[in-house]
Amino acid sequence: MILVSAYLALAGAPDAVGLTEDNTYAQRIIYFHVPSAWLSMLAFGVTMVASIGYLATSKRSWDSFAMSSAELGLIFTFAAAASGAIWAKPAWNVWWTWDPRLTTYTIMFLLFVAYFMLRSAMEDPARRARFSSVYAIFAFLSVPITFMSIRWWRTIHPVLIDPNEGFGLGPGMMTAFFISLASFTVLYLVLVLHRYRLERLREQVDELKEALGY
Amino acid sequence: MAFMIAAYLIIWLAAFGFIFSMVRRQSGLQQEISALRELVQERDDPTR
Repeated sequence: MILVSAYLALAGAPDAVGLTEDNTYAQRIIYFHVPSAWLSMLAFGVTMVASIGYLATSKRSWDSFAMSSAELGLIFTFAAAASGAIWAKPAWNVWWTWDPRLTTYTIMFLLFVAYFMLRSAMEDPARRARFSSVYAIFAFLSVPITFMSIRWWRTIHPVLIDPNEGFGLGPGMMTAFFISLASFTVLYLVLVLHRYRLERLREQVDELKEALGY
Repeated sequence: MAFMIAAYLIIWLAAFGFIFSMVRRQSGLQQEISALRELVQERDDPTR
């Protein structure tokens, strides 16, 4: 799936019309940039749901899942921000500007960096899970604000999905875009399950060490 | 074209960097499990 989406993104999808040569190539970044941004928000959403799951059940596995998803959320946030900056250079003539979308996205990133700082500051697993779950629910509030920022405030960031104008993509572009979106979502699911299993294994090793008195 | 290639490289470096870090953490855990296993065997059989 990833190979198909890479082919479509790099060569298969039709070129955008009416752009300079640099912008025509740079426009293809959206096939990976938007799915990365979508996954960052999905991952933080899953973290929020798993955090509610922990607070409701006190089962440590929920907290492990929340942490695993947040870690992936940070990776995809970085990927989306970096690829967006590279797209911005030919499109806006700057790598970075304090546009509402870019600013709220940075705040979202920093809030989830703080989530890991909070976790690393506490040693007791139950206390760490409880505090970080509450924090993750509040940190998630930044996600809908980031998503809606380009609709609420004046911004130069493009709006890909507009309720009045629909998708700003042609039919061939739309196919490539949705295949890429689906591929990235599958990639996220595979990675988060692996990360979760690894975290559970680490917890079991820690419990074993404690039980053995090492 | 350089912008497009740079953007794709960064995204894939981030993804592969994460996968590589998982592999390293997993091998670290496997080493810990082996060390624990040896310690348990030594404790159960001090003559070893």
